Amino acid sequence: MSIMGSMSQKRWVWGLALIIVLPALPLFLSRFYLYLLALIAVTGLLATSLNMVLGFGGMYQFHHTVFYGVGAYAAALMLTKTGLTPWLGFITAPFVSAMFGLVMGLICVRLSKLYFGMLQISLGSLVWAIVFRWYSFTGGDDGIHGVPIPDSISSAAGSYYFTLAVTGASLLIMWLMVNSPFGRTFQAVRDNPQRCEAIGVNVKRHQLVGLIIAAFFGGVAGVLFVVVEKSVFPDMMFWTHSLEILIMCLLGGWYTFLGPMLGAAVMVTLRSLVGIYTEYWTMVLGIILMLLIFFLPQGVLGFLLDKLRPDNSAARPEEV
Amino acid sequence: MLRVHELQKSFGGFMAVTEANLAVDQGEIIAVIGPNGAGKTTLFNLITGQLKPDKGRITFKGQDIAGLPAYRVCRLGISRSFQIVNIFSRLTVFENVQVAVLAYLKRTLNLLRPVKHLAIRETKDILVNFGLMDKADRTSGSLSYGDQKVLEMAIALGNRPELLILDEPTAGMSAEETAGVIKLIHRMTADLGLTILFCEHDMEMVFSISHRIMVMQMGRTIVEGTPDEVKNNPMVQEAYLGGEEE
Amino acid sequence: MEPASNITVTALCQQVLVGLSRTTILFIVSSGLSLVLGVLRIPNIFHGSLYMIGAFLTYSIATYFGGGSIGFWVALILAPAGVALLSLALERGVFSRLYDREHLMLLLFTFAMALVLGDLVKLIWGSDYRSLAAPMILQGSFLVMGLPFPRYSLFLLIVGPVVAFGLWFLTNKTKIGKISRAAAVDMEMVGAVGINVSWVFASVFVIGCFLAGLGGALVAPTQNISQGMGHNIIIEAFLIVIMGGLGNIWGALLGAAIFGLTDSVGILVWPQYAIVFPYLSVVMVLLFRPKGLLKSVW
Repeated sequence: MSIMGSMSQKRWVWGLALIIVLPALPLFLSRFYLYLLALIAVTGLLATSLNMVLGFGGMYQFHHTVFYGVGAYAAALMLTKTGLTPWLGFITAPFVSAMFGLVMGLICVRLSKLYFGMLQISLGSLVWAIVFRWYSFTGGDDGIHGVPIPDSISSAAGSYYFTLAVTGASLLIMWLMVNSPFGRTFQAVRDNPQRCEAIGVNVKRHQLVGLIIAAFFGGVAGVLFVVVEKSVFPDMMFWTHSLEILIMCLLGGWYTFLGPMLGAAVMVTLRSLVGIYTEYWTMVLGIILMLLIFFLPQGVLGFLLDKLRPDNSAARPEEV
Repeated sequence: MLRVHELQKSFGGFMAVTEANLAVDQGEIIAVIGPNGAGKTTLFNLITGQLKPDKGRITFKGQDIAGLPAYRVCRLGISRSFQIVNIFSRLTVFENVQVAVLAYLKRTLNLLRPVKHLAIRETKDILVNFGLMDKADRTSGSLSYGDQKVLEMAIALGNRPELLILDEPTAGMSAEETAGVIKLIHRMTADLGLTILFCEHDMEMVFSISHRIMVMQMGRTIVEGTPDEVKNNPMVQEAYLGGEEE
Repeated sequence: MEPASNITVTALCQQVLVGLSRTTILFIVSSGLSLVLGVLRIPNIFHGSLYMIGAFLTYSIATYFGGGSIGFWVALILAPAGVALLSLALERGVFSRLYDREHLMLLLFTFAMALVLGDLVKLIWGSDYRSLAAPMILQGSFLVMGLPFPRYSLFLLIVGPVVAFGLWFLTNKTKIGKISRAAAVDMEMVGAVGINVSWVFASVFVIGCFLAGLGGALVAPTQNISQGMGHNIIIEAFLIVIMGGLGNIWGALLGAAIFGLTDSVGILVWPQYAIVFPYLSVVMVLLFRPKGLLKSVW
């Protein structure tokens, strides 16, 4: 990511500060704020995984939370229905999500942009409908509550540390992927799939691989959700939730790596703050989104980075 | 090297290419000319796999390539540039070419190696050759039109083609920029042994650099020959050149 | 849990009729969505909110006129008209400024509208369920092959073809219809021959939204009028439109029929999972015909 290049010195200072401050927070903060931070990390990881295909691959991933939900349900079901060690459940669940990604990808990637997104919504809604109705297995619309989490990570501080560590590691891996040959090629596919074919890149295969990666880390986020909330419910993979995550990517800036994390932090915090004063959170969300689309389509972080590189800002196309 | 035999393609009811024939041999510079709508771009799209032909054969080095997907055609050694600027507008100039080199090296599915250290020398060589080195770190979308056209060609060289197909490489360029492109084409054939197939409206350029010229009209190859033969052919003069030279 | 084995022919017929009356609602809503998608290329998510607003408006208007039969008939006309007016204001005020944006931005913007409209409905009507009685003449049931069939469903079975015919007439026989079909294929061409594209877009958008409101008005007496109804219908409508072929009105009809019938017959076969069948039918159709059953205008 050359966009970040000019910030590279500062970036290390910030990174170091985070490495010192974040682990120390449980000493100062109440349970509620730890929970909020953990939720930000989970949601941010989910948004970042979506952005792998959305911002870096240009794919219309309209129903990403399916993979989040599948990961969460896979973990919750393994923890509640089998006697296996919970850790095995945590590790298996993201692979289950990745498998879903593979199947969905095989069906969807042959289609053009908008059709891809719509077919994904229909497949995702099918998964949602099944989970919603299958009371005997998934708990239906009630979901599954009181998932037994290992003692070492079930406390507020414990789940905070676990979430932080896994999110950090996942972000690092995704960052490496964005800056790998695959990541660069994927961005080229985003900018111009036709040209990519013409230079010898099998576009569909790259899109499939991207989708599987996104699904995998979506599943990781799902596992973390189970650890933080100790429950799962079908609404986490309802289509409106997918669009909310998409908004976080837009808010932070989807051509930046950390934008979605920033977007998630802002939205999760806002939601809990606004929630105190009014029950009309969705209206606030809607208005924020409208303002964004009108005035800041490149997102907050994208806007700041463009400002830092004046030579390019003028030439960036307005559209996504 | 490249043989096109009785190629045909229609869109709906419209015959874009009715009967195209073409032979390109190693080391040649071949031009395809013809009025707008003669089917030149369609012909190129058929050869490089952007479109699938309805009928006819295309062979490259003896291998049948008609109907192969574009990325497979490219891997066999045919590369192309496009008439409209067709680059990766959010990537830097360097990255634009680097992706093409990575594709050639079959590294694009490599997930964890830092891309920073890969294909650097190959990419730089191409950028130096095309005079783009001083703009390497600029976002390609911010380049001037002329530079974007040059980058367009540079990308096509990223995967070391044997046959390079250029669709109106100098369209919209100033006389000075056109001269630069001509120089580039000469250098590519001389230094890299490239075979070049191109189409162009700038007749001066066509007649100055081509070894042979193919004239298309209404989707048909009507004449093929050396520049002199083509210039003196009455059919061509009537169909195409006549109007311009009078 | 296990599939019912004692499916009788009469029960099947009854469910088919129920499915077809459901088809009417689905068709009316999704044809509006399809129209907007086909001509304006906007995946309009707040189409579902307009459907919900149509239902709530019908309730309020009918109640205002005493809640009797007359109230319903008045509401059936006024509520969709109100929705159409609202959409006209939105189109002129906001959307006409966004047409050059990318699909994804437009989709998100319509989602933002859906969020705001959803909360506005909550502000105005509260979060309680509302229910509305059908007019006297449409209450009760006929006997069909010995089983009761609601009169209101029969009414819907009549309304469906009428609306379909109206739409066919509008798109094929009127000037605006012809222009909008041309615009769906090649917008620049229409602009080039001197037709005011902006005006065409506004009309198509309003007609599409009117249909959402009409769907909401028609569904009002058949179910609880509630906050979430917009969220469900919009996904169903999207799936129907995709299944039928984007922008194709007859595709919307076909898709609605498949969706409605698999749902109602599915209840007979396997009640608990009936909700799954329509979704499954969409996936099956798209597996074999990824671009939908009928020709898409895209």
